Amino acid sequence: MNAPASRSRFREAEKRRDSDHVSFLRHKGFRWLWIALLLSGASALGYALIDQQPRPNGGTWYGYTLGTIGLGLILWLTMLGVRKRRINPGAWSLKAWTSAHVYLGLSLVVVGTLHTGFQIGWNVHTLAYVLMLLVIATGIYGVVVYAVLPARMSDNRREMTRAQMLDALTALDRQLESAAQPLARDEADLVLAALKQSPFAGGLLARLTGRYPGCATARARKGMAGDSEAEQRVRALLEKRLAQLGQLREALRIRAALEVWLFLHVPLTMALIAALTAHVISVFYYW
Amino acid sequence: MTFLIRTLDITASGREIRRERPSPAPTLTVGRAAENDIHLADLAVEQHHILIDALPDGMVSVTALGTLGFGLDGAVVTEGTIDPRTGGEIALGSARLVVTREGEQIAVTIRQVAEDEGKHDALRGFALASVLPSKRAMSWALAGAILLMLLMVPVASHLLRTPAKPDPTGKTPGVVLMDSAWTSGELSLKHHSLENNCESCHVNAFESVQDETCLSCHKDTGDHAPMGRLAKGMPALSAGDAIQWKIGESLGKEGPLGCVSCHSEHEGPVRTASGNEAFCSNCHDSLDTRLTDTQLANAHDFGKAHPQFRPLYFASFGAAKPVRAAPGTVPVERSGLKFPHDVHMNARGGAARMAVSLKQYGKPLECADCHVLTADRISFKEVNMEQSCEACHSLVSGRIAGGGFTKLRHGDLKHLAEDLAKISTGPRPALAPGRQRPGQLGSASPYRADFGRPVRAYIGISNALSTGGVCTECHLPTTGPSGQADLMPVNFPDRFLSSGYFNHEAHKKQECTDCHAATTSKAASDLLMPDLKSCRTCHLGASAVKTKKIVPSDCAMCHAYHVPSGQWQQKGPAPHYRPPPLPVATPPPAKVAQMRK
Repeated sequence: MNAPASRSRFREAEKRRDSDHVSFLRHKGFRWLWIALLLSGASALGYALIDQQPRPNGGTWYGYTLGTIGLGLILWLTMLGVRKRRINPGAWSLKAWTSAHVYLGLSLVVVGTLHTGFQIGWNVHTLAYVLMLLVIATGIYGVVVYAVLPARMSDNRREMTRAQMLDALTALDRQLESAAQPLARDEADLVLAALKQSPFAGGLLARLTGRYPGCATARARKGMAGDSEAEQRVRALLEKRLAQLGQLREALRIRAALEVWLFLHVPLTMALIAALTAHVISVFYYW
Repeated sequence: MTFLIRTLDITASGREIRRERPSPAPTLTVGRAAENDIHLADLAVEQHHILIDALPDGMVSVTALGTLGFGLDGAVVTEGTIDPRTGGEIALGSARLVVTREGEQIAVTIRQVAEDEGKHDALRGFALASVLPSKRAMSWALAGAILLMLLMVPVASHLLRTPAKPDPTGKTPGVVLMDSAWTSGELSLKHHSLENNCESCHVNAFESVQDETCLSCHKDTGDHAPMGRLAKGMPALSAGDAIQWKIGESLGKEGPLGCVSCHSEHEGPVRTASGNEAFCSNCHDSLDTRLTDTQLANAHDFGKAHPQFRPLYFASFGAAKPVRAAPGTVPVERSGLKFPHDVHMNARGGAARMAVSLKQYGKPLECADCHVLTADRISFKEVNMEQSCEACHSLVSGRIAGGGFTKLRHGDLKHLAEDLAKISTGPRPALAPGRQRPGQLGSASPYRADFGRPVRAYIGISNALSTGGVCTECHLPTTGPSGQADLMPVNFPDRFLSSGYFNHEAHKKQECTDCHAATTSKAASDLLMPDLKSCRTCHLGASAVKTKKIVPSDCAMCHAYHVPSGQWQQKGPAPHYRPPPLPVATPPPAKVAQMRK
């Protein structure tokens, strides 16, 4: 085989390998990490070396330059939401885009902070800055949980799909219903409450912490104190139901931890763009 | 242990049909094939799908016979164990086999379930979105609130307001709502009262703060130099600054020589700092290369590069205006006075003896006997003849009958002439003792008058004004426009070093003579202003190392940018604007001006 053909095959293979198995963080040998570091380093170096009179702030020529870069970056980073919904071929793969999104987003900490000239106050300008930092912080959290949590999620599933978790609950419920037939009114009501409660009951806090103080199954298990055969059986079934609910709730907890950042990241980004608009307009309105 | 197989069916009318049959064998096979113990007519079930086995310990094991698994309590497995006391559910296709213990038998209850239609919807419950408002709604709410409160409200109230006149007292509150959220920092101390009235400076939308607005309050502020010369003297801007100003100026900003270019506000509640050495040397270290006709020498550091002082002085008698000493020359001052400092300063000389004998002094003369600090403790009051000289240089002209003295008034030749004339009309001693005749008026009589020509008065004033006369003890004789005897007017500039600023109070630990060579000065023509060298014994440039003796001194210690102005001070009362100095006026020839330090 001649050399060019081999090289081209190697390139093909590399491309496939890259698109298949390399995380967006390591994309193209950390290309965007280096670009982001270069941007941050150049910004910091310029800040240190350029004499900004009377003092460094957003209003010097260097400040305006950093501000313009920052604004452009923020708007471009926001476009990831548009890009990821468009399935299209080309050199700008979604993975490259995501990699750039993460690293350039991080470099905004440097660019944005230098743009402030370390002048912080209770005003729309600092609001924009703080919103930017919050968006970046939630983004960092998102990257971390995406790296850590899927493995835990998989462990928790124990080869059950989400549908199977629900099926298992349904199966237990059917057994509970027939097993509870001999029970007295009070105990039957306990079982009924447990069966009626949706497995997804509980708010944001319950999901994030995994604590469900209002769990009817736990209450029923506690109230099932008798020694009759029926009660023993229902108790055993309630315990199985609790265990199954535990697995499901752990799945919910991990899922919530995995998703909650986006519920901050996206609205905060939109708030940031609004605050940036107010920031830019107000600065020139009261020039 | 045996099995009891129970089948539950629902008829079309909804009635439940229940069939039971015992199975004596300890195992059960389940599948689609007819020979199975439990036969399920469902294509999703294998011909021989599972084997249910009652174990000796009372448990039931379930094993898949083929490769296809089965559902056990929701999970798909290929083998599993059920404790019949708590029970378990096996799922095969649409059939559900519930295994429970009923007395000594193990009951297997078979029922058909409908496929769960809502299962897919139920899976949505796993997503966090099911317990949170949508991201889109939150985005709109947050962004909308910010845009409304921090942009639309201030802009609308600014556009709809009735513009008010700027109020320097700062008592007028601003009418634009929510614009305090736009401030980029607190105002300086002097402007703090304007904190709630943004539009007092930011008058029009998208227009930078204009000089005109600043000057509407700061009327007294003078220019550093005419605008054209300032622009010419400025060094070239850096590329970045040049671009910024080009853009800024095209949008109506007032260039690098506008007020706000140096006086940047919103830097916190601080006193506006003076320009540092670099601020001045930026232009002044090579000013002559750009402003080729300037008379100012280059300067950038008081200790290293600062031109020699060029005090103002009157170079000729009676000149209309003072001139600046040329660099490198020894000025000869023509103030019109005779005053040898050394005679007065000599502690053993005649002046000292006379001072010792006078109650007013009681000891040899000191500088402060004549030169008194002004109230601001910075400069000196004018030396006043009556207070500072007259104790020795007496103008007493006679005795008054009731005790006391008459004296000649100082300061105006007209007064002098009148006073001298009075001497001539007063009682005079008789030339020779004579016998008085009856009827003749005696010299003690009040009815005496000299009706002769006032020749002696003329002689008196002429004598006083000519060399050797009482006036020429201190003044120089001259003749007036019509040839009459006159005195040279006394001329002193208001300030000798008019472009710098010197605080005498700050130097009170020094002796006057440390800087002013008064003890050796023999004539009033000596200009006793200290030179650069004497200042540099203590004061060096801003970059000098501070020691017990050396005071690092930046330009602002002696100079101010805006003229006229006083010295910029770090502490103390702030207003450093002073009214412009009185124009240096030449007194009328007959009027002897007072000295002023």
